Amino acid sequence: MARIELTHVTKRWGGFYAVDDLNLVIEDNAFVTLLGPSGCGKTTTLRMIAGLETPTTGRITIDGVTVFDSDAGINVPANKRRVGFLFQNYALWPNMTVYQNIAFGLGNIKEAGISVSEDGEIIRNEKSTEAPRKLTKAEIGRIVERVSKIVKIQPFMDRYPSELSGGQQQRVAIARTLAPGPRVLFMDEPLSNLDAKLRLEMRSELQRLHLSTGSTFVYVTHDQMEAMTLATRICLIANGVLQQYDEPLTVYDRPNNTFVADFVGNPAVNFIEARETAQDGSVTLTMLEGQKFRFTPNEPLNTAAWFDEADREINEFASKQRPVPKANEDKPFNYQIARVNDVSGETAEPGREDWVIGIRPEFVMITPEGSVEGEIFSAMPTGMETTVRIRVGNLLLTSVMFGGVTYPIGQKIRLNFTGNNVMLFSRQNGRLAARGTLEKL
Amino acid sequence: MDAAIRYSPWKARFNRVRTWLSKPQNTILLILGIILTLTTILPMVTIVKDTVTVHPGTKDARNIEDGQTLTTFNWTDMFAPKTSTAKKLADKNLWTPLLNSVLLSVFACIGAIFYGGIFAYLVTRTNLKLKKYLSAVFIFPYIMPQWTLAVIWKNLFDSNAVTGGADGLLASVFGIRMPLWWCTGLFPCAVVLAMHYASFAYILIGGIFRNMDANLEEAATILNTPRWKTFLRVTMPLVKPAILSTILLVFSSAMGSYPIPHYLKLSTLSTKYIELKVDRAGQASILAVIMMLFGFLILIINQKTTSGRKNFTTVTGKSGQSSVVDLRAGKHILAVLFAITTAFTGILPIILFAVETFLPNPGDYSFITGGISGNMTAKWWVTSENITENGMYGQKGMLYNETIWRAFGNMLLVALLCALCAGIIGTLVGYCVSKNRRSKFASYVNNMAFLPYLMPSLAVGVAFFIFGSRLGIYNTVLLLVLTGTIKYIPFASRSALNSMMQLSGEIEEAAIIQDIPWWKRMTRIIIPIQKSSIISGFLLPFMTALRELTLFMLLCSQTKIITTLLDYFDEMGLYAFSSGINLMLIIVILVLNALVNKLTGASIDSGIGGE
Repeated sequence: MARIELTHVTKRWGGFYAVDDLNLVIEDNAFVTLLGPSGCGKTTTLRMIAGLETPTTGRITIDGVTVFDSDAGINVPANKRRVGFLFQNYALWPNMTVYQNIAFGLGNIKEAGISVSEDGEIIRNEKSTEAPRKLTKAEIGRIVERVSKIVKIQPFMDRYPSELSGGQQQRVAIARTLAPGPRVLFMDEPLSNLDAKLRLEMRSELQRLHLSTGSTFVYVTHDQMEAMTLATRICLIANGVLQQYDEPLTVYDRPNNTFVADFVGNPAVNFIEARETAQDGSVTLTMLEGQKFRFTPNEPLNTAAWFDEADREINEFASKQRPVPKANEDKPFNYQIARVNDVSGETAEPGREDWVIGIRPEFVMITPEGSVEGEIFSAMPTGMETTVRIRVGNLLLTSVMFGGVTYPIGQKIRLNFTGNNVMLFSRQNGRLAARGTLEKL
Repeated sequence: MDAAIRYSPWKARFNRVRTWLSKPQNTILLILGIILTLTTILPMVTIVKDTVTVHPGTKDARNIEDGQTLTTFNWTDMFAPKTSTAKKLADKNLWTPLLNSVLLSVFACIGAIFYGGIFAYLVTRTNLKLKKYLSAVFIFPYIMPQWTLAVIWKNLFDSNAVTGGADGLLASVFGIRMPLWWCTGLFPCAVVLAMHYASFAYILIGGIFRNMDANLEEAATILNTPRWKTFLRVTMPLVKPAILSTILLVFSSAMGSYPIPHYLKLSTLSTKYIELKVDRAGQASILAVIMMLFGFLILIINQKTTSGRKNFTTVTGKSGQSSVVDLRAGKHILAVLFAITTAFTGILPIILFAVETFLPNPGDYSFITGGISGNMTAKWWVTSENITENGMYGQKGMLYNETIWRAFGNMLLVALLCALCAGIIGTLVGYCVSKNRRSKFASYVNNMAFLPYLMPSLAVGVAFFIFGSRLGIYNTVLLLVLTGTIKYIPFASRSALNSMMQLSGEIEEAAIIQDIPWWKRMTRIIIPIQKSSIISGFLLPFMTALRELTLFMLLCSQTKIITTLLDYFDEMGLYAFSSGINLMLIIVILVLNALVNKLTGASIDSGIGGE
């Protein structure tokens, strides 16, 4: 149905860059989530594509048609973009019944070559030469019936929104959005007002809906779990800048930088600061309060060349011509190191030999043969899995294991870092340098 | 992807303007901005110009050389008089009225705030008895024509011995003669204005009390704060914004009020204006300019305080039951006390006006002492031919008097058109401003729409009198409607803005996305949702216009509309007629208010001041 392309899209209010030079291609039939902390520019991006917000500069095309181009002075208004938008607060019209809410937009369609099949599917013949016409009452009725069946709200057609529960209102909003047959469906945190159980249910329904409608879905959320489970691709944004645009598992396994690594995954990734002492194809590191480790990258790593390339890219982005200086400056992500007692002071400017190791909790394994000594700080079994926090010196590591295991707090244990998916980030620029294995020397 | 996007400031600006104008709310805002600027600023400029224009046949024309058309005579004669007689005149025509106006406004403010504020507190925060009845009757004076209480005051306290003219009720029945300071001048004016605007204070302050989060007071109680301290340190600061806006509104309304000082014989800027208008037109305009300056001053103060006011809006939360103070025995005593005072301000006027129309002669209350049948008459109502005896001055009785009914019809027409225009424009202003919350231009338009509200009525009337005379539309319904519309837009724009602000933008965006045209979005979604506040935006101008005298009296001949006709009969001494018209107006307004309230749930108390 529709491919969306954003080229150098920027939105700023004075010196505040809500979205900064965003390039993004959303493939036809994709389910893309825009993910990021609140205030990062994801909703602005969505509203710009839908036409509810006007970009400062850039170009946006939907289905090959340019809907916005600051250079050419094109700005197709939202109502002519034929898109659907699902609002966070549903935005149902309180003065209309469920039926009227869904049918209201349909009564307004006036197109050439439009027809409605027996089961309520809208058929558009773009090449038709007939005079544009409106839909008949019967046709509208068939469409409303079809979409209300999809979201299972037929019993409530005569009720007013205030007489429905949150979940039912959400379904009505979905039906209303689906009714005119939009090419693209935009959703702005549509599940954030629902309770946890309902959210899970609606999540799976949205996934089914994506399959059955075949539309392109663009979905804004700050909930990384929602993004991981729903999306075909995740677009991570921070401070108005695109951080990573990849498939969910890629984002999880190969995060571009510490921000992405930290934002995606629950429980969060373990960050361990390390200092390089020697390098010979593998990197020798001092970490965890003076213990020595060797990091062996999966692919050969030339750190000098890697730094040069990273610096070049960073400089290129920073030196880009801007009409107004960016007030919300881009800084490397300030990751949190979990400690038993907070330490203050001592923040020397990191150099090229300063690294951060990122290890997902599932790769921190408690085993009697472990090479690192630790002590149980807390243990939280949920039945299906157990999250354990382990104290190593003043540092805390998080480990997740399958099944319910109980540990007495304070118990001495040993642990290993397993697998070849240990991530090595530069402390200087926060970027991922390599993935590999980590072993104690 | 590779095509570079260049940033061209001119193109960006052009695109921005085009995008801005493509939204209906912006185009409407622009048009409204231009219209409101013209209709608000132009008349004001006209008054200022009038102060330096030579008026043939008046004082200034006698003090210039031939052929001169502009003169500073009016200003110098008032502010820098050369002779001692001129100095005395300046005192009489400028400084005394100015002082009286300011004093009157200040006292009216204080009185209204105390009387209305205390009542608001008692009704919303204590277990006072008879709350429902008292609350309804308390706002009667605001619904009734402004001069009602002044006339009642005269009818009660005047006496032939002290004030001359006919004896009032107290003098004729009980033989009590009140001293002169009680009957005319500053004291009765201030009391009557305070009573009139106390209802206003009650509505504004009561609104805050009602919505105030009781938890805030409870939190103080939990911390073992004494009750009086809670009231002074927690409650009072929270209602301060409401008190402030009441002060501003009462001050400007009192300053421009004509009928009350006119009836109770106090020389204020507004009464002096009417006096000077014929022989010293230019100097009269100076008085109007001074009143306008007060209006601007109030707008500036209002502007300064509203930024602080926003800090309090979070207060109106969804707290549950507010705590109620137990007045113990006081709940009965105070209820009786207020029942008596509201009877005087709300019920008595209706009865007195009704009785007045059956008295054989003004002030002849002999029926009370001498039996009903003999000393009452229906002639004021039913006389159907021109007779000059009987004290009718050649007028037909009220039921058959075409002049009255024509004036009544004109008044209804004017009020209806004013309400329609002001309601529509005000609703649009509210809508457009709420859609452009951060825009400077939007707040300019909002201020332009609000300015006439803070301008003393008489100053607005003067401005449109001069403006209208220049355009040659004096004494037309058009001029009356134009003036009324401009003056009453704030009623509608305030209540529309407040309710539109609470409407999430998504509601309309959901319709935009579905390609629903603007017209349909307004009529099918926004207006139905905001029905009740929009109706009160129409209702308030209607009821206010229906009883308006000060604003309209300069703009038409005396027999044109019912309120000026009432004034005319009053001057003639046909008190039975003026009382009858008063009675009709009060009843029409009360019935309409009750009717609209029943039908739509909108009421005057929910809309005034936009809280």
